Amino acid sequence: MAKKKNGQGVSRRNFMKISGAGAVAAGLGPAFLFPERAAAQQKTLKILQWSHFVPAWDTWFNNTYTKQWGAKNNTNVIVDNINLVDLKTRAASEISAKKGHDLFMLLSPPAAYEKQVIDMSNVYAEVEKKHGKKIDLAHKSTYNPKTKKYFAFSDAYTPDPGNWHKDWWAEVGYPNGPDTWDDLRAGAKKIRDKSGHPCGLGLSQELDTSMAMRALLWSFGGAEQDIEGRVTINSKQTIEALKFMKALYQESETAEVFTWTPPSNNQAMLAGRVSYVANAISITRQSEREHMPIDSKIMISQALKGPVRRIAAEHVMNCYVIWQFAENKEGAQKFLIDYMDSFHEGFVAGQFYNFPCFPKTVPNLKTEIANDPRANPPDKYKVLGNVLEWATNVGYPGYASAGIDEAFTTWVIPTMFAKVARGDETPENAAAAAEKEYQRIFARNTGA
Amino acid sequence: MAVAGAGTKIKSIGAATSPGLGAAMFAPAVTYIGLLIAGPFMLAIFYAFSDARIGSTGLHYVGLENFRSILQSPSFRMALKNSFVFTICTQIIVIVCSTTLSIALEKKFRGRGFVRFLILLPWVAPISLGAIGWKWILDSIYSVITWVLVWLHIFKPYDTPMWLGQPHLAMASVVLVHCWRLIPFSTVIMLAGRTAIPKEIPEAAAIDGAGFWRTLFQITIPMMTPIISVAVLFGTIFTFTDMTVVYILTAGGPFDSTQTLPSFAFATGIQGSDLAAGAAISVFMVPVLVLIAYFMLRVAHRAEVT
Repeated sequence: MAKKKNGQGVSRRNFMKISGAGAVAAGLGPAFLFPERAAAQQKTLKILQWSHFVPAWDTWFNNTYTKQWGAKNNTNVIVDNINLVDLKTRAASEISAKKGHDLFMLLSPPAAYEKQVIDMSNVYAEVEKKHGKKIDLAHKSTYNPKTKKYFAFSDAYTPDPGNWHKDWWAEVGYPNGPDTWDDLRAGAKKIRDKSGHPCGLGLSQELDTSMAMRALLWSFGGAEQDIEGRVTINSKQTIEALKFMKALYQESETAEVFTWTPPSNNQAMLAGRVSYVANAISITRQSEREHMPIDSKIMISQALKGPVRRIAAEHVMNCYVIWQFAENKEGAQKFLIDYMDSFHEGFVAGQFYNFPCFPKTVPNLKTEIANDPRANPPDKYKVLGNVLEWATNVGYPGYASAGIDEAFTTWVIPTMFAKVARGDETPENAAAAAEKEYQRIFARNTGA
Repeated sequence: MAVAGAGTKIKSIGAATSPGLGAAMFAPAVTYIGLLIAGPFMLAIFYAFSDARIGSTGLHYVGLENFRSILQSPSFRMALKNSFVFTICTQIIVIVCSTTLSIALEKKFRGRGFVRFLILLPWVAPISLGAIGWKWILDSIYSVITWVLVWLHIFKPYDTPMWLGQPHLAMASVVLVHCWRLIPFSTVIMLAGRTAIPKEIPEAAAIDGAGFWRTLFQITIPMMTPIISVAVLFGTIFTFTDMTVVYILTAGGPFDSTQTLPSFAFATGIQGSDLAAGAAISVFMVPVLVLIAYFMLRVAHRAEVT
């Protein structure tokens, strides 16, 4: 049995008092003794974004730019990069935990998170003072006209051009590649019949398919919603676009397009398997970086022209948000404002993948991309000079609302096209089903 | 300290003498179940009757609105149907294969330990790693299976089966990969069950002239019913609630044809930001799982009694 303690020792209560006072002193001591040091205490800025498809951009951003900015602003900048498909899941986790990064970048307009993020109006205003007006694509992707709030800040977007195999298209009579959707259908069929190489427009529940199918839909005059945000998916134009995709799939594609994830069409093009894909310039950048023999064969073209217009979605839209619960909101805003001063450096480091939402940050864009020593031929990317004439936002012709966001992330459009392409659903029924789904989703997002 | 002697009762200073010790030993399990199972489960029910969204800042009671809304979704109906197809097909294959394997592995043969080790591997390896491996094996461009089939001239290079791209093949792939994962677990349970059968009974049956099949169907399987029920119960619950295999292999595609309730709940609630609808989809699994558990336990109990 333990002996009873005598009165000489420190009682438990006294021990707690002493240690508590010690902890407070330890915390306040340096600030009391060295106020100037406390004032200069280093801050932390935590950023989360995707692992860029052009790794050179991450190298510049993580190892050069953020280090320089951190040194200038006495801030320890921590950058975490994750796979693009995990961004939404990670964002949901951070919102649930009310803890996470100060600056979070998503790749599609995150309107659904509007109530959880701060208004970016002042960031846009500051940047516009220095670099002029933003493009309409950025405005429509990050602004809610009902609440008059910018729920995100967009520094850059990525064009979504066509990537086509020069030799195969030349062999079937298209030396400059397909220019219209009809060219694509006719040429892709000839290539498939001649050499077996299928066309590579995705029909899967993933990002690249979402963009390619929207481009087709809009080119034929269809749209998910009108400018006022009313559901318009079930239209004659949508049905025509569905019929077109069914014919294209049955004549020129294989079932592999139903299995694809975002990198799959890159892999298929670089493996010399498919004749055409709609994707950003990550494919050609990889072939250049790895000196692949196919590099000189893959060419870039502007969006295909449909019966109504030539149009395509941005391929990815950089959308930075700052959570309401972020610990360093001021630092995050300042970072974005300052970052735009160095946008041109990033544009070059990222090998022209990120196009500017503030055109004045890259004043000679057309000249720069028209003569790229890495490219083979050097003017391979010249065709992207007029991208703003055909690139638009998710939700076109309206805004990227919360309903559009949910429909985008639950793959309503790819599912509609895929079901028709396989013959599991008629175009009319698929359009009607998509309409119901949009109405259901929009109704659930009323007021969001 | 427990002291045991011949013909004496085991004396314990555990729970019997110290009620607090029993509670303390019980507490971790209760805490685990409370925090990681009961808590999230109650939260899911709470969300299912609310208008919770990832981005919302407040919650309101909306009654059955979420259930009404998801029932209108063709993707939900497809996911519900697929969940049953996925579970039933997987369980039939798993039980047949594990019973066969347990019979084979019960006999002594050279290298039996190594074979048992190989069979157990899929269960030991993390499911996500295994599923990623299978994704590449079944890939549309780099599939080794496809490569062999083309090499054998069974298919032309550009007209090969797309294991994850054609609805029936994709569902078959998802089912088979899940079977690959579950068969070891089920086999171990079956092996344990078989060792519990007194050797005299099959020996007596053999003396009476019963052949292999008669012994199997009239002695072995009836006597193993309780243990088969346990294997089916666990397997069904693991399969019905699993989203890893589906998510990694197909993400529910092609066009929702392999979507199951857990994967659809994740896609809707987390990726689609509609937390309430996602929770409502999850809650749909509860009555099914409760019914399965009830019937399987009843079967097991009856078998034990008889």
